[in-house]
Amino acid sequence: MTYFPEEVVEHIFSFLPAQRDRNAVSLVCKVWYEVERLSRRHVFVGNCYAVRPDRVVLRFPNVRALSVKGKPHFADFNLVPPDWGGYAGPWIEAAARGCVGLEELRMKRMVVSDESLELLAKSFPRFRALILVSCEGFSTDGLAAIASHCKLLRELDLQENEVDDRGPRWLSCFPDSCTSLASLNFACIKGEVNAGALERLVARSPNLRSLRLNRSVSVDTLSKILMRTPNLEDLGTGNLTEDFQTESYQRLTVALEKCKMLKSLSGFWDASPLCVPCIYPVCAQLTGLNLSYAPTLESSDLTKMISHCVKLQRLWVLDCIADKGLQVVASTCKDLQELRVFPSEFYIAGYSPVTEEGLVAISAGCPKLSSLLYFCHQMTNAALITIAKNCPNFTRFRLCILEPGKPDAMTNQPLDEGFGAIVRECEGLRRLSISGLLTDKVFMHIGRHAKQLEMLSIAFAGDSDAGMMHVMEGCKNLRKLEIRDSPFGDAALLGNVAKYETMRSLWMSSCTVTEKGCQVLASKMPMLNVEVINEVDESSEMDESHGGLPKVHKLYVYRTIAGPRDDAPDFVKIL
Amino acid sequence: MLGMAECKGRSQHSPSSSMDSSNHPALSTTASPCRPDRQNLSTDLRLGLSLSTSPSLSSSSLHEAESIISNPRNQVLFNWPPIKPFLRSALAASASRHRLQRTLFVKVYMEGLPIGRKLDLLLLVGYDSLLVKLCHMFKTPITYAAIYHQQVPGVKAAHILTYEDQDGDWMMVGDVPWELFLTSVKKLKITRVG
Repeated sequence: MTYFPEEVVEHIFSFLPAQRDRNAVSLVCKVWYEVERLSRRHVFVGNCYAVRPDRVVLRFPNVRALSVKGKPHFADFNLVPPDWGGYAGPWIEAAARGCVGLEELRMKRMVVSDESLELLAKSFPRFRALILVSCEGFSTDGLAAIASHCKLLRELDLQENEVDDRGPRWLSCFPDSCTSLASLNFACIKGEVNAGALERLVARSPNLRSLRLNRSVSVDTLSKILMRTPNLEDLGTGNLTEDFQTESYQRLTVALEKCKMLKSLSGFWDASPLCVPCIYPVCAQLTGLNLSYAPTLESSDLTKMISHCVKLQRLWVLDCIADKGLQVVASTCKDLQELRVFPSEFYIAGYSPVTEEGLVAISAGCPKLSSLLYFCHQMTNAALITIAKNCPNFTRFRLCILEPGKPDAMTNQPLDEGFGAIVRECEGLRRLSISGLLTDKVFMHIGRHAKQLEMLSIAFAGDSDAGMMHVMEGCKNLRKLEIRDSPFGDAALLGNVAKYETMRSLWMSSCTVTEKGCQVLASKMPMLNVEVINEVDESSEMDESHGGLPKVHKLYVYRTIAGPRDDAPDFVKIL
Repeated sequence: MLGMAECKGRSQHSPSSSMDSSNHPALSTTASPCRPDRQNLSTDLRLGLSLSTSPSLSSSSLHEAESIISNPRNQVLFNWPPIKPFLRSALAASASRHRLQRTLFVKVYMEGLPIGRKLDLLLLVGYDSLLVKLCHMFKTPITYAAIYHQQVPGVKAAHILTYEDQDGDWMMVGDVPWELFLTSVKKLKITRVG
């Protein structure tokens, strides 16, 4: 291969988009390393502290699309204290210095400042797409900078970010010359937007395929917009809470009927049941539907809507749908691949509409189901065994029984056998979250059978260190392990230290690990950052000694070639 | 007296409007960061309810029952269930707006009284708050499954609480988990014992 000119080698590499493959070919020889690194277009950094931004930019100066993730997953549930880290600044600054051809930036769980957004907007003349997921630290002023300066902007996708709203001005900052927008998602912006500015922006964006509004946008504005976007494929609605006048309804229905390409619907913030009939015209063409922000819709409203959705592949819904609603889903949505059922009331013991029966019905009716997130009040081993047999194609299976440590609702046994069936039958399982009453046995099953498992989430489970050790020994492809409130200590932590170098990260909180154990780990494995996070305000039990040593409240271990990070706050100790 | 003990005026736990579990007023402060104590499980089985109690609950004092909350394990649960803040705050905002709109009114009759009352069960958090509410409404001690079956000698309430389920059968209140009860209850009746 070294006889070929570099252009040819580069051309061959262009058929290898996957990062894993490109990493592999770059190890072959120096020539290939050089060719590969200069032609790499996409770089994905799964942990922003695993490598220094400068190093990435130096190696891949011609990168077009950069994707970086910051905080660990449990940050989504408030388990990572604020100011822990995950700053986007260094990445944007490094890219501004070293790869000005950057076109796309994706960031997840990072802290992004307005200054960084402004730098981003001004540094990359070909910049086209900004996707921020679960980020924080910026305001609508930062968005204004993006809108003003990114002349070729195609995509501005803000998913579930914490954004400081400084007024509607930002949307008006898109210049009249900006006609390239294909995707705009501002659903997480809390305040009002200027309806006229929005309508004008939509009117001059003929390529618009995806539009997700926030809850301030009125029905009438929505109808007007839809009349301009007959090619829209993905829509997030605005305000549908009012029990509107009939005229508004008719306009919305007419507008929706024009959208023949519409495949995906979301939004529905506190949607009124009276809006449901408006949606009927498009139901039959929908492949994706997100109703998880509509606790106002009862089971009967939901089933009426869903009974029309024969092509549905992805459904996100609240547990108000109830078991009987899930039975309607099971009999209607034969192409269903992904289901998420979220809890609507979890602090009071209101009636529990969703149980194992709903899930069993779904598994029987929807054989293509491969991705599940299911919150419920009870589960049984028998149900899980049935579900496993009905749906052996699960790649993601996340079950959250709302009461920690709750046993099988019929037999009062642990749910070890049920989850055992899941890992045995679903050979392609890559992601698993377990809950309910679970002993070390479930981990034995997971270690033995879950060979493709990449991510495992554990809460309130297990009896002893042996549990975690089964997983560390058996799950060959494990990349991320996150554990909370489980009795795993130093022996489990240190049972297989070499494993951590093959994983992206380990999170343990409210377990029985001590600082001594963490220090041993840090000294044995210099390629890891062992972060001990101790806060003052959380549970007082944390001062309790365990073998005479203070327990570690939160532990985050990750492999890195960047060494200990220099932006850690006081409450983080890097060993 | 066991019968009276259940009907003492007790502070009701109203769900906090704040969605942060760490300052939820009804959650007790006994903390166990790891798994719930297995002993609680067998206590539950004996009582036949999904209501848990602290291990010291025995025949004598029902004061423990005062701290019964929707989380039967009496654990402090930080940041549970695992849902994203965006959804959590959306549901909290919606809950406070719509709490009055979700109701489950059932008729309550007391044997011997021709005129019945009505009660919204969704405003209650469990069997104990139901008992307290009814004792206040009807000014009499009432018992239900858990207490009745404990067979404490020498102690008996004058009335027992029963309900009509979806099949039309009259059942003693308290045998099934609260959530399941709410899905099947149609009417309540307080009948005399003996």
